[in-house]
Amino acid sequence: MASQNMDPAAASSTAALKGNTSGTTSAKGSVTKRLQQELMTLMMSGDKGISAFPESDNLFKWRGTIEGPRGTVYEGLQFRLSLEFPGGYPYRAPDVKFVTPCFHPNVDEQGFICLDILKDKWSALYDVRSILLSIQSLLGEPNNESPLNPTAAELWDNQEGESHGIYKGTRIDLWHHQGFLL
Amino acid sequence: MAAPVNIQTPSKTWELSLYELHRSPQEAIMDGTEVAVSPRSLHSELMCPICLDMLKNTMTTKECLHRFCSDCIVTALRSGNKECPTCRKKLVSRRSLRRDSNFDALISKIYPSRDEYEAHQRRVLERLNRLHNKEALSSSIEEGLRQQARYRSERNHRVKKPTQESDNTTFSGGEDNGDTRSHLSHDSAPSHTPHPQGQTPSEAGPSRKRPRASDDGSVAEADSASPTPPARRHKEGPASEIELVFRPHPQLVHEHDYNQTRYVKTTANATVDHLSKYLALRIALEDGRTDRETEDRGGRGEEGGGDTGGTVATGGGGGGGGGGEGSSLSNISEKQYTIYIMTRGGQFPTLNGSLTLELVNEKYWKVRKPLELYYAPTKDQQQQQQQQQQQQQQKASPPSQREG
Repeated sequence: MASQNMDPAAASSTAALKGNTSGTTSAKGSVTKRLQQELMTLMMSGDKGISAFPESDNLFKWRGTIEGPRGTVYEGLQFRLSLEFPGGYPYRAPDVKFVTPCFHPNVDEQGFICLDILKDKWSALYDVRSILLSIQSLLGEPNNESPLNPTAAELWDNQEGESHGIYKGTRIDLWHHQGFLL
Repeated sequence: MAAPVNIQTPSKTWELSLYELHRSPQEAIMDGTEVAVSPRSLHSELMCPICLDMLKNTMTTKECLHRFCSDCIVTALRSGNKECPTCRKKLVSRRSLRRDSNFDALISKIYPSRDEYEAHQRRVLERLNRLHNKEALSSSIEEGLRQQARYRSERNHRVKKPTQESDNTTFSGGEDNGDTRSHLSHDSAPSHTPHPQGQTPSEAGPSRKRPRASDDGSVAEADSASPTPPARRHKEGPASEIELVFRPHPQLVHEHDYNQTRYVKTTANATVDHLSKYLALRIALEDGRTDRETEDRGGRGEEGGGDTGGTVATGGGGGGGGGGEGSSLSNISEKQYTIYIMTRGGQFPTLNGSLTLELVNEKYWKVRKPLELYYAPTKDQQQQQQQQQQQQQQKASPPSQREG
């Protein structure tokens, strides 16, 4: 799980298919339709703590926002993400990256996210909403086995090892790192 | 995703969801009872979770009984893991699926016309698309503003003073004419206002274009003397508006002179002087119009069209009525008429010309209904006015016989 959320093959096919230049028109249409449906449900559902919207005219590039989950060190922080949908969506996962720097065991300095459902565990049933909710819960429950950011993982482990008193300290450390990264 | 709640009971070899554990058999409805179900609640049942559209050629997984469109699940199996997209149960190949024609029949029973449903779906998505398409929206606004600006500058160059003056203050006067009061919202302006103006040259005969051209000289003069710097016109923006009810002064104006009540809607930053000049203009134009109407009744049909356009286009009537009185229009001034307001004691104090209508509203009026103002010819101008009127009365019927 140490690899980043991007395999070269997917990246190149994404590059070839995204935008309005290539891809068969019918496939394109069905992807557009699905993305429109997702947008509609997202707008209707009014989920708290997550939101997403296309960046511009291009329905294949979205900007998402998630709020740090309550009771975690990320509480009160807001993270922006970019989502890029390949032409093979929803059979292929979108590329999801943190735009706001995020100091987290499974997020690297470029914002790449290590999350199984964005890679080998992707299913065509996942959508923007479930992706954002998964990332939100990842913030509070990192997978420290194969961290992208070892410093963050270590810090997190220490927090887990000791008792609640450390929470504040970790939070300050985290804020420090966030500030440092920002 | 749809993770079932696991109940660990040693005696059972399968897992039941909470729903499955608690459900009790429902009695079949055998009589004629009808149960109304909204299509919206059905949607999640009839929808393919992959394309999020209504199921088409339904395929059901043989083991876990999840439904998908045939195309969707086949593509999913080809491009991804060999598992059910819904529950990750192993799906070896297409043979793990079976065609579910009963479900297709059910759908076609509920939605007999799939085309209709799809058309509706398309419409909804298109509307959404327009909504989300902020860029298209802002660009169309920009385009509108650009057009507005272009028409304005065109008018400034080509059209005579009356239009320009009314343009400055966005006067939209209508005389007892209900529908002229309901316009000039900021965004209707670009589409409606310029229209009659732009159309006029092609609709109207050359006779109407000529006087306009000959007036150009006076426009230039008037422009330099104009109290409002031209640049302000472009900054108008969504300034707040004020509605006025404008009546002749009950004591100073003889009833047969001007008995019209005028409804005016304008920006709140227009001054009393603007209003008074506008009034002078309107009256001069109306007088001019009666002249023309009596002169040639033959052209009336066309004239009528021009007039309505004129009122909406806030003074485009200057183009319509601009027949022969170009000279009288050029000496219009805000000094010809004095504006009064009625106080509670029945007094009619004069309003200073430099007051903005917003201030007048705050100072004297206060209530939330259209500001009521009164007008009368200014005293020292009255002589001149009367002379003019005598001249006109030789030609025209008295204005009192006109209907708004």
